[in-house]
Amino acid sequence: MGVKAESQAIPGQQISVEERQRLAVDGLLPTKIMHPGDAEDMARLLRLCDLTPAAVVVWGGGTQMRLGSAPARYDVAFSTERMTDLLEYEPADLTCRVEAGMRVAELQAQLAAQGQRLPLDPPHPERATVGGMVAANTSGLSRARYGTVRDWVIGIAVAYPSGKVARAGGKVVKNVAGYDLMKLHIGALGTLGVVAEVNLKVQARPEAAATLLGHFEAPAPAVEAGLRLARQYLAPASAVVVDRNALWACGLTADWRWTLALKLEGYRREVDAAKEVAARAIREAGGRTEGQDIPVGFWEAARDWSGAGDDQVLLRAIVPLNGEATIMAALPADGQLMAQPGAGIIEARLPAGSAAAVLTRLRAAAGPDGQVIVAAAPALVKQGLDVWGPPPPGFAIMRALKQALDPNGILNPERFVGGI
Amino acid sequence: MDLATRDRLGRRLKNIVGEPFAFSDAYEVRLYQYDASPETALPDIVVIPGSAHEVAQVLKACADENVPVTARSGASSLAGGTVPVEGGVIVTFARMDRLLEIDTENLRAVVEPGMVNIALSQALKPHGFYYVPDPSSQGACTIGGNVGTNAGGPHTLIYGVTVNHVTGLEVALSSGELVQVGGRKAAEATGYDLTGLLVGSEGTMGVVTKIWVKLTPIPPVSKTLLAVYPDVATASNAVSAVVGGGILPAAIEMMDHLSIQAVEAASHAGYPLDAGAVLLLEVDSIPDVADELVERMDAICRQQGATEVRVAKNEAERQALWKGRKGAFSAMGRLSPDFYVMDGVVPRTKLPQTMEAIAGISERTGFKICNVFHAGDGNLHPLVLFDAFKAGQYEAVLAIGDEILKLCAEAGGSVTGEHGIGLEKRENIRYIFSEDDLEVMDRIRRVFDPHALMNPGKLFPANGPRPSTSAHPAGHARRQAAPVTAGEDVWV
Repeated sequence: MGVKAESQAIPGQQISVEERQRLAVDGLLPTKIMHPGDAEDMARLLRLCDLTPAAVVVWGGGTQMRLGSAPARYDVAFSTERMTDLLEYEPADLTCRVEAGMRVAELQAQLAAQGQRLPLDPPHPERATVGGMVAANTSGLSRARYGTVRDWVIGIAVAYPSGKVARAGGKVVKNVAGYDLMKLHIGALGTLGVVAEVNLKVQARPEAAATLLGHFEAPAPAVEAGLRLARQYLAPASAVVVDRNALWACGLTADWRWTLALKLEGYRREVDAAKEVAARAIREAGGRTEGQDIPVGFWEAARDWSGAGDDQVLLRAIVPLNGEATIMAALPADGQLMAQPGAGIIEARLPAGSAAAVLTRLRAAAGPDGQVIVAAAPALVKQGLDVWGPPPPGFAIMRALKQALDPNGILNPERFVGGI
Repeated sequence: MDLATRDRLGRRLKNIVGEPFAFSDAYEVRLYQYDASPETALPDIVVIPGSAHEVAQVLKACADENVPVTARSGASSLAGGTVPVEGGVIVTFARMDRLLEIDTENLRAVVEPGMVNIALSQALKPHGFYYVPDPSSQGACTIGGNVGTNAGGPHTLIYGVTVNHVTGLEVALSSGELVQVGGRKAAEATGYDLTGLLVGSEGTMGVVTKIWVKLTPIPPVSKTLLAVYPDVATASNAVSAVVGGGILPAAIEMMDHLSIQAVEAASHAGYPLDAGAVLLLEVDSIPDVADELVERMDAICRQQGATEVRVAKNEAERQALWKGRKGAFSAMGRLSPDFYVMDGVVPRTKLPQTMEAIAGISERTGFKICNVFHAGDGNLHPLVLFDAFKAGQYEAVLAIGDEILKLCAEAGGSVTGEHGIGLEKRENIRYIFSEDDLEVMDRIRRVFDPHALMNPGKLFPANGPRPSTSAHPAGHARRQAAPVTAGEDVWV
């Protein structure tokens, strides 16, 4: 079959060469594009792809497209850009229902108008979509205090290759009816179904917020101070430890080596009290808090930091809280590093050349209780890296779940853990 | 189960768990036919395993004989979650109730499923931590059961329910495998979140044998405030006003006039007998802030028509208020020989209209309905009072329950907030989920349990996507006397 015949067999709209380039994933180009208008439309189009079968890669804002192994096949770019509505929002219920393609920043703006927010802060919210945030499980830097995507999604509508839309959860904050399929789709990279709508809990914006920086000469005391704060009441909303290179990338030059940056939130007097407690913890760990000059936009820059440059590799280690120091010690000094002491997450931006060696070293350091993944890498570099590492416990079940929900393997083929 | 199968399987199970810990004597298994719900059904065999490996072997043995398995520990399910409706084997956790590890460095504890909920928080207290979800049955229910139902409690408002506090599970499957999912690190590790999927699956996927839970620092102070209202509608509006005012209390509970009568008679907590409704509000913070929040809530409550606002002056007064609330269900015995508890949820803003509709049902049917519930998250617990010895009353009460759940679903809510679907609401689940929704859930269940042997007859509708596995359900019957006997300890 010639190229032309093949492209006609694949459902969807034709796209220009420029458009194909824009929608490339790890060097692969799609043949067609689809723009579903709602959940039912999504399911109908997915069914067409399933019958062909045509491999589908879902596109939201495109901020996390470098996460995952290179897809084995890529025929159709499945865009959520027409699904951008805030379907329901009742401020007094602290809940909302959102279409998957709505930008996170747009949602936050609508919530802010009512004095509320979603306490998740994925990178590049002006582009990132709610559906993408769910599929890639991007929670931002406040997870130690407010939790992750799984703690805020209360309902979901998913389109499946079978052509059906199935919902789970609901619109109320407390609900145990049926299986919690929200959890299954969070972080699944759209490999089990395409998220069409998301129901979320939201919260009142905090009365007050403050930022405190602690200066350290070594990483271990900075992490220890952050950990100590995470283990107590009035834990910081965000606590990150950054090296000098990462701090610079966040807009701050320093003559000290390591920084513990703390965002404190809550009722006004809680924040005042938390500031004192935090300053004491920093001093007791051997750090300094004087000479604060925090640039506007520091937290936004820190949030977006994980969107590594096109020529860089981003590694992410997920370990028990007391395993962070070991990981940090295994990282080279020429990269950039950001650790979240209260969450057990360490991210490193590295030059492509050293990534493979560092990855091996980190996996050894992470031990059996930890995991290290390649969160972003240029396509060519990625080919030489084991993106997800060894399959996690329970992998046989994961593969069987994939088989049950996407039997023809059309959704993001081989992109996920263990070649799912 | 035929006798030959029972004997063969019984012998095999005794070999696995030890002679005294597997039994099928008709007298001995009777204890395991019920939980806190009205339904009963006799198991054929009961096993009390001593380890996770034994549980896995038990499941394999049952799968080989195509025999259903139901896990049971505290047996406080109000939805019939642990009633073995298709007979078979009950696995119970009396010997697997240990606290395996307290790991304050990583903010985790590791427990066995039979550990009683309150015992965990008591063990953590000297370390300055607690385990947050506190169902009112916490003195009897177990962490394993809490995982099965994704249990809640009064303090879920800011802290969330069980799933928000569990980061890993070890689970035995009907294949005989023992699988660990998640663990000590953050729950957002790579791969599908099987931990999150398993929590709340009501034992229909596998049997949990070990649980990793999060530790939370004990708040410096908790302040509790009692606000008195002339009627339920006014109190309901106050709930929205407090939450809308930028304060998120740790708990907001409501009791109506009838409940107050029962609670006061039983516990003398100091609730005013002439009140139409009371709200119990609690905030956690540092002392200064807690005082400030109490003042702000006091003002909002009065603005919203509270005739009186009382702040617990000390821990003893606070505990007395909570004792009244947590003992509310047991206190109902003062009002009626029997009651039937519902567990619906509505969006907070729909509370006034829903409460009014429930009052209308009570008026129309002549059955008294008490309301004691988690108002902050719209989780209703209407208690329909009746007398099981009067012909037709139980059936009438079931119809009232059905009507209330339909009402909740139509208001955009759910048919269960924390008790689970279980046996009780397996048909009501259709009020909120379509055939397509249930079909996907069933497909997922079969990944874990291809022959639907794990806690069959629960969660899915009888004629739903789940084909029946057993042509002859073993003696499934309603308990002959009182469905829930007044004075028995029942909690919500």
